[in-house]
Amino acid sequence: MALNLEIKKLKRTGYLPAFLGGSLLAAAFPLANMLFRPETFTAMPGRPFDILMDADWQMMAMLNILVSICGACIMYHTEYADNGAQKMDVLPIRAGSMFLGKSVIAAVMLAMMTAVEILAVTGCALHWFPDRIPDAAELLKGLLGSILFQWGAALPTVILMLVIASACRNMWVSLGIGVILAFTLLIFPQDHAVLSLFPFSSPYQTLAAAAENDRVFLFLGVCAAEVLLFGALELIYQKLRRCVE
Amino acid sequence: MNIIETKDLTKTYGGFTAVSHLNMHIRKGSVYGFLGPNGAGKSTTMKMFLGLTRPTEGSFQIDGKTYPADRISILKEVGSFIEAPAFYGSLTGEENLDIIRRILGLPRSSVQDALELVGLSQFRKRPAKKYSLGMKQRLGLAGALIGRPPILILDEPTNGLDPAGIHEIRTLIKSLPRQFDCTVLVSSHLLSEVELMADEIGILNHGRLLFEGTMDELRSSAHEAGFPTDNLEETFLAMIDEDNRKGGGRAWH
Repeated sequence: MALNLEIKKLKRTGYLPAFLGGSLLAAAFPLANMLFRPETFTAMPGRPFDILMDADWQMMAMLNILVSICGACIMYHTEYADNGAQKMDVLPIRAGSMFLGKSVIAAVMLAMMTAVEILAVTGCALHWFPDRIPDAAELLKGLLGSILFQWGAALPTVILMLVIASACRNMWVSLGIGVILAFTLLIFPQDHAVLSLFPFSSPYQTLAAAAENDRVFLFLGVCAAEVLLFGALELIYQKLRRCVE
Repeated sequence: MNIIETKDLTKTYGGFTAVSHLNMHIRKGSVYGFLGPNGAGKSTTMKMFLGLTRPTEGSFQIDGKTYPADRISILKEVGSFIEAPAFYGSLTGEENLDIIRRILGLPRSSVQDALELVGLSQFRKRPAKKYSLGMKQRLGLAGALIGRPPILILDEPTNGLDPAGIHEIRTLIKSLPRQFDCTVLVSSHLLSEVELMADEIGILNHGRLLFEGTMDELRSSAHEAGFPTDNLEETFLAMIDEDNRKGGGRAWH
C-alpha cells in the first residue's frame, strides 16, 4: 500500500518527466559522440561496448547522479512544501514504510534510466562496430550484467540522497548538499579500492573496470551493505526526530 | 468516563518548559475547549497526544491506550488538525483525502462524505495549492473528520476562515458529539469562540493549567477569586494577568 500511496503523491510533480528526460539526455551522449567523431573509437582495439563505456560513462553517470539528486528533492519537497509529511505523521502508518516506498520508486526509476542508457551504448556498439558483433547470448549476458552492475553501483547514492532530502525541510538545502557531494566525490580515483566504493563515487565505476580488478562481487556486496546502512540510518533518524521536535 | 487523561505531562526544550505538569481530564462525548494565549503550550500538548513530539515527563492515556506503546492504535482513533492545514499541494482535494482514506482503510464513499461535511464538494477536482486559505483550512478539517473518528483533536480550526465559515465550522464542531458520538478537543486563544462550542474548558498559561471545568464553574471560581464575571473574555484576561503577575511566567531551569 505504501508504494501505491507514494506513486500517487508524485502526480503532477514532474518526477517522471525529470527521469525520462534525464535518461534520454544521457542516452543521447554516446550517440552524439559516435555521430561526430566515430573514427576516434572505431580505431580502438577491444570490445566495442567497453570502448564506448570508457568514453561515455563518466558523463552519463554524472547525469544519473544529478537526476537522482533532483528526484530525491522533488519527492521530499512534495512532503514538506504544504506540510503533507506532518499529516502522514498523525496517521496510523509506520514512519519507515514511507521511506521504503520512496526508495523502491527511486530504485525502479534508476533501473529504467540505467537500462535506457546501456541499451543506447549497446545500440551504438552494434551500429558502428559491425565487424565486432558478439553472438546473441554473449550480447544479452553483457547487456543484463552491465545494467545490473551500473544500477547496483549507483543505488547507494540514490538512497543516501533520499536520506539527506528527508532530513532537510528546505529543498534548496538538500539540493545544495547533493550537488556539493556529487562534485566533491567526483575527484575520487576510480582505481582506488576503497575510495571508489563511496556513494557519489561508485556510480562512475564500470563493469569492465571492476572485472579487470576482480572486484565485481566485492563492489556489489559493499553497495548492498551501504544501501542497508543508509536505510537503517533513516529509521534511526525518524526515531530521534520525535525526541527532539 | 474520561477518554483523554494526562498525568503530570511535561515537555521541555533544553532549559525551556513548554508544558508543565499538566493534569487534564476530557470526558467522553464532550467538546473540550483548550484555551490559552499564543505560546501557552496548547499545540505542544496536542502534538504530544499525536506522537509528534515525545513528553519529557509524565504520561497520558487516550481511550485507555498509552504512548508510545500504543501510538499506531491511538492514531487509528484520532482525527486531527494541528497548527496549519497539512496536504499535498499538487494533488486535488479529493486525491488528498483519498490518500488518508487508503491509510485508514475506509470505504470510497468516506471521501465524498468528508468533502460534503466541510462544504468542499464543488472544489474537489481543484489542486489543493490553488485553494484559498479558508478552503485549505476546510480541507484540513475534512482530513480530520474523514471516517468519523471517535476522537478529534483540532488546533485553532477556525483560523483563516471568514465570519460565515467560522460560524459554520463552530456549529459543525458543536454538533459532532451528538451526530457522530465523538469527543472533541479544540484549542483557541479566544474565550468568546470556545464559549460558544465547548461543554468544558481548560485554561493554559505558560504551560500550566490554571482552570478546568464547565463555564458555570469558571464563572463561580472567577467570582470567588474576585475576577470580573460579566464578560468571560475579561475573566480570562484577568486570570492570565493575575497568573503572569504572580510570576507564573515560563519556567526556565
